[in-house]
Amino acid sequence: MAAYIIRRLIWTVPVVLLVILMTFGLMKQIEGNPFRQTERAVPAAVQANLERKYGNYVKGVATGDLGPSLVLRDRTVNDIVKEQFPNSIELGLLAFGWAVLLGVPAGVLAALKPNSRFDYGAMLFSNIGFALPNFLVATLLIYFVSVKWGLLPTSGWTTWQHKILPSFTLGLVPMAYFARLVRGTMLETLQQDYVRTARAKGLRRRRIVTVHVLRNSLIPVVTAAAPLLGYIITGSFIVENIFAVPGIGRYYVTAVSARDYSVVMGLTVLLSIIVIFANLVVDILYTVLDPRTREART
Amino acid sequence: MSATQIAGRIAGVDAGAPIRQSSLWQDAWRRYLRNRGAVAAAAVFLLMVVWCVVTPIVSPHDPNEVDFASAYEGPSWSHPFGTDQFGRDLFTRAALGGRISIGIGFAATFAILGIGVVYGAISGFVGGALDNALMRFLDALYGLPYLPFAILALAIIGTVDFWTMVVALSIASWFITARVVRGQIITLKENDYVRAAKAVGVRWYGVLGRHLLPNTLGVLVITIFLELPGVILGEAFLSFLGLGISPPDASWGSMAQDGRDSYRAHPHIIVIPSLCIAALVLCANFIADGLRDALDPRTKET
Amino acid sequence: MRLRTPLVLAAAAVAAVALVAAGCGGGSESQPAADGGKKAASQVLKMAWGAEPPSLDPGLATDTTSSNVLLNIMDPLVRLGDDLQPVPALAESWDVDGKTVTFHLRADGRWTNGDPVTAHDFEYSWKRTLDPKLAADYAYQLYGIVGAEEYNNAKPAQAAALRDKVGVKALDDRTLQVTLTSAQPWFVQQAAHHSFLPVHQQTVETHGAKWTEPGNIVTNGPFELEGWQHDASITLVKNADWRNADKVALDRVEGRIIVDGTTRVQAFEAGEVDLLDGGGLPPADMPRLKELPEYEKYPALGTYYYGFNLKNIPDENQRRAMAFAIDRQSIIDNVAQADQIPATGMVPKGIPGFEVIEQHFLPTTADLEKAKEFMAKAENPKKTITLFYNDSPGHKEIAVAVQAMWKELGIDTTIKSQEFAQFLEFLGPPPNNAVDVYRLGWIADYGDPMNFLELWTSQSGNNNSNFADPAYDRLIEKARNTPNDQQRYELYRQAEAMLTGPQGALPIAPIYWYTYTNLERESVKDTFHINPLDQFDLSKVVIREA
Repeated sequence: MAAYIIRRLIWTVPVVLLVILMTFGLMKQIEGNPFRQTERAVPAAVQANLERKYGNYVKGVATGDLGPSLVLRDRTVNDIVKEQFPNSIELGLLAFGWAVLLGVPAGVLAALKPNSRFDYGAMLFSNIGFALPNFLVATLLIYFVSVKWGLLPTSGWTTWQHKILPSFTLGLVPMAYFARLVRGTMLETLQQDYVRTARAKGLRRRRIVTVHVLRNSLIPVVTAAAPLLGYIITGSFIVENIFAVPGIGRYYVTAVSARDYSVVMGLTVLLSIIVIFANLVVDILYTVLDPRTREART
Repeated sequence: MSATQIAGRIAGVDAGAPIRQSSLWQDAWRRYLRNRGAVAAAAVFLLMVVWCVVTPIVSPHDPNEVDFASAYEGPSWSHPFGTDQFGRDLFTRAALGGRISIGIGFAATFAILGIGVVYGAISGFVGGALDNALMRFLDALYGLPYLPFAILALAIIGTVDFWTMVVALSIASWFITARVVRGQIITLKENDYVRAAKAVGVRWYGVLGRHLLPNTLGVLVITIFLELPGVILGEAFLSFLGLGISPPDASWGSMAQDGRDSYRAHPHIIVIPSLCIAALVLCANFIADGLRDALDPRTKET
Repeated sequence: MRLRTPLVLAAAAVAAVALVAAGCGGGSESQPAADGGKKAASQVLKMAWGAEPPSLDPGLATDTTSSNVLLNIMDPLVRLGDDLQPVPALAESWDVDGKTVTFHLRADGRWTNGDPVTAHDFEYSWKRTLDPKLAADYAYQLYGIVGAEEYNNAKPAQAAALRDKVGVKALDDRTLQVTLTSAQPWFVQQAAHHSFLPVHQQTVETHGAKWTEPGNIVTNGPFELEGWQHDASITLVKNADWRNADKVALDRVEGRIIVDGTTRVQAFEAGEVDLLDGGGLPPADMPRLKELPEYEKYPALGTYYYGFNLKNIPDENQRRAMAFAIDRQSIIDNVAQADQIPATGMVPKGIPGFEVIEQHFLPTTADLEKAKEFMAKAENPKKTITLFYNDSPGHKEIAVAVQAMWKELGIDTTIKSQEFAQFLEFLGPPPNNAVDVYRLGWIADYGDPMNFLELWTSQSGNNNSNFADPAYDRLIEKARNTPNDQQRYELYRQAEAMLTGPQGALPIAPIYWYTYTNLERESVKDTFHINPLDQFDLSKVVIREA
């Protein structure tokens, strides 16, 4: 187990380096520099940044210095990250929270009453949540809930009321995904032999469900968490934009537009590192939850 | 063991040896047809594709003709979807947009498949240390969000058109496919007939080409319909962020973005392309589910 | 899974969403009419800013949002009235003597840390903006001053020496003497621009790049920067020590930063903000917004134009044809929809001297007949054109409209968009060879037509059309040295004729002259005002009782 973790950790290093390299290479290709008029003298420090060698950049990342922003002259990438990243994290966690809070129970209940009206209803809702583009959902939610009925604010990220709509919108797809996934795996598990055996033995349904079924059904939820993290990051670009959430998703697009190399690289590297470590955590959790995989994984 | 499972075993679906190939597909086809939801979804899907192809050809309206006098009309007989800000017929434009969105969808999906198959096949087939390295690498890349890289790619290429979209959407989306393909190849590799083929002296490309890859076809077909929604939504997101197809061409995503500002007074402009996207995504999901059930009988009828 | 029924239900639900969304059509409730006159008890203004200010350093700011925040927390030498004539602010008077302008500062200017505002602060600030090390994008605003351009382009070795040669000097604490390169009658007006604001030397030197953060910043204007949550909000509070503080009604200004146009409108309509910053309303929603009582429109000094690359479209007959084929009024009515004014020349209406300068050659609607005549006269016309625009809202739609209009001439236009910084790179000058036509706009920096006409000299860094006419250059140079307004306007007329007159080279096809559109709650509508240079003064705003 420990060996596995260490091995995985070791492997993350070349991957992160490669991501940095790819991003670095990509950014250098982009035409256009952040300074509008090229005859203007570029300050020495900034010029040095433009020509930064890959090695120096990596050293910077390792020590936690992501460099200055080339466009926002008074702020460094670290500043931007420090100020705005927590908002994105909060948004993502809340979205995930909605997904677990509503999606998992929906899936469980649907599985316990297969083919009932609840089942159909839940699966219907989940399919819609999955398919409707989130910018439409966001626009409609803001219109009805905020403008028309005045229940919640239209945008911003200050009070808890502000946080409901954006996180809900972002959480819809993971919610739908969880509902279907949990329902599917629970149904499978419910029909497994050992469950039937338990029922034959007379164990109460509730006990069976909580002890055996839930545990096995939660495994795919954990596995799904990693790609869902990718979705949450992606979705956040749009949701942050529409709901005026001061996070880094929104700033990413602006930064690419403005050719702010440092910010783009810094954010891409940061996001990638997070995802990579999240994968690691998920994989470890997975081996904890499902002993069968431990041997298969080594 | 249920009757279905026994039937499955007898039909030889586990083995997947070449001789049995046709009956695997026939079985799958029959099973698919029994799934009414999946059939309906496939029908709707096909209908949408036909609609996208045919409508612009037969439509009396020029999709790019600017006629301010008929701007912002609601749905009517001559304009079933109404008109947009420039008086252009939305019915025709939605069909054209569908051509582009679905086209990008399939093209990007095939690109993803291409990369994924190559990566997964190499990894699974060669095995050993290379497999280990490639897989550890993939494990780490697994959940990377495609959007930042898509945005970067588009920024590099400069202008956005059909093929640049395809490239942008596929460069960071092939990880899951690679893993799936590798898994398939590994499972199949252990089969007796493959070992037999190797023992007899069939070259590696023969084994790969004649035995392994064809049997992953089922999985690949499923993957197509699993990746398609993601790509189509991805294109919609990029359009929404302002990185969409250049006018006057439009995809569903860029049409939706056009319509967002006027959604209060003229909601149909954003709603219609969004619903088209939703419909396509729904159908693709159901088709994928149906295919999965059809091709792998061990999944219970639920 | 038996999915058929759910599939039908799914389709029905999705259709239901459509119907529900269709129900969104229709206007919002109108606000109750304000009495006007009586001051409300709470003078806290909630507004929305359209962007995160890239910098609140007067030396580095280039965009409107930064400019407007700065002009409200700082005190310039002069401010501009609606007629664009300078009104004393920190300078109580000034003398103009040929190339020398002398400003006499008030005695009661104060920085928020108590220090008095002196002429030395201005000298320091202007020289700092010109310092090559700062690499200020807007340093060129000060190039009217002797020695400014040389200093700004100096190599590190010579920089120190050239700094002393810059023609701005604090004769004493209250006298600022400026020496110009030529007698520029508009210089005093220019001093109202945010690039001419003073900065507090000690603060800048102590805190370096972070001196504009709320905790560090030292300002001298009617409001103080109390809070700045990046990308989220800007909070201003009344500066009780300001020289005119008793005339300022507002106590606080709580500004939310909302970048997306539709979201801004939504916030306004939900009552979360009472004022937008004039940054523009989404054109597609304009027909509905124009009907709201909160809608307000201001004249602006700016020209929206399509520029030609003379290298790729060398025949002026073709350029005339293309200019005549553009239906300006239709674009304004159907696309831009903010009651702009169809532009028949580079110099916009409303600028002093316009009546003399105005050419009457280009039509306000399309003149397709004449356009086709011109097209027929063109030798080897270029029939496939690529039009470039930057990807901000509104430009795409106009490009689509013009694309259809040029189709009438048999011209096939491909439209390509780029984001702004890359776009500017692409335009050079000289413009990239792929550019046949490009879109640009120019908003006045100060209220004299020189600002618009000097763009087209062959040396200008904003001449993206490959247009070079020595006669034109000479004319502009002459105008620079003509202090008499009427004489100068006559020279401007000749210059404009060389651009958009009947014999003009037409390096551009102007489309419209800008307006600023805004949403303002009845409670602030009568006291909030945007001047033609897109500046607004919050110290004059009073929240009326509803």
